Amino acid sequence: MTTLTRQDLNFGQVVADILCEFLEVAIHLILYVREVYPSGIFQKRKKYNVPVQMSCHPELNQYIQDTLHCIKPLIEKNDAEKVVVVIMDKERHPVERFVFEISQPPLLSISSDTLLSHVEQLLRAFILKISVCDAVLNNNPPGCSFSVLVHTRDAATRNMEKVQVIKDFPWIVADEQEVHMQEPRLIPLKTMTSDLVKMQLYVEERAQKT
Amino acid sequence: GKDHTKLNPFSDGDKMVILLPCRSPPSRERVQLWLEARRQYESLQRGL
Repeated sequence: MTTLTRQDLNFGQVVADILCEFLEVAIHLILYVREVYPSGIFQKRKKYNVPVQMSCHPELNQYIQDTLHCIKPLIEKNDAEKVVVVIMDKERHPVERFVFEISQPPLLSISSDTLLSHVEQLLRAFILKISVCDAVLNNNPPGCSFSVLVHTRDAATRNMEKVQVIKDFPWIVADEQEVHMQEPRLIPLKTMTSDLVKMQLYVEERAQKT
Repeated sequence: GKDHTKLNPFSDGDKMVILLPCRSPPSRERVQLWLEARRQYESLQRGL
């Protein structure tokens, strides 16, 4: 077994590619399962060898892609501690938060070429958990919208600056109103540990949604 | 001694921040209108 540091190969980039691809699928699926948008805009596709629902609305798809393009440099440098898909009510108060806690182990133990297929298997389990999560969540009020939050270090935001300008997609510091949730109920969905990345997904749900 | 990072929050590069896009995604209403227009277009195409 060979042990390499993260710098020996560009693991940050590999992890960022894998995670951003996964987060794109996960965001589409969350929006479908939690009925943020009409089901008619979603089409069945196959990702990670399982059926998923992906939006075919060009503006929404572009928005999700631009969001992930901006987050990618943070993930690459292991500076994105959490990526959070927040579902908000009409008053823009959070009702649900899908929290992806991400960390990258400092050393990589390469056992064989099964590494990537193992990660894919683990990510598939996340997708399956998201697709059935409505069974453990209460219905959301009508007229909800969503946002994607990223928890990072102040110094790391410099890594995002260039891509924000290129994409004309600026980011701001979240207001207390956009972050705070009263008496959240925590629902763990899935945890994975691999040589490439560690990730935990849980949902925080507001006790009183209406 | 005094904690200067508390006096000047911008001096602490390791402070955690929560960021979000300045722009909002398309509203549900906007997406619904697009969906209805697409359905009308598709039904017109079928009728041709």
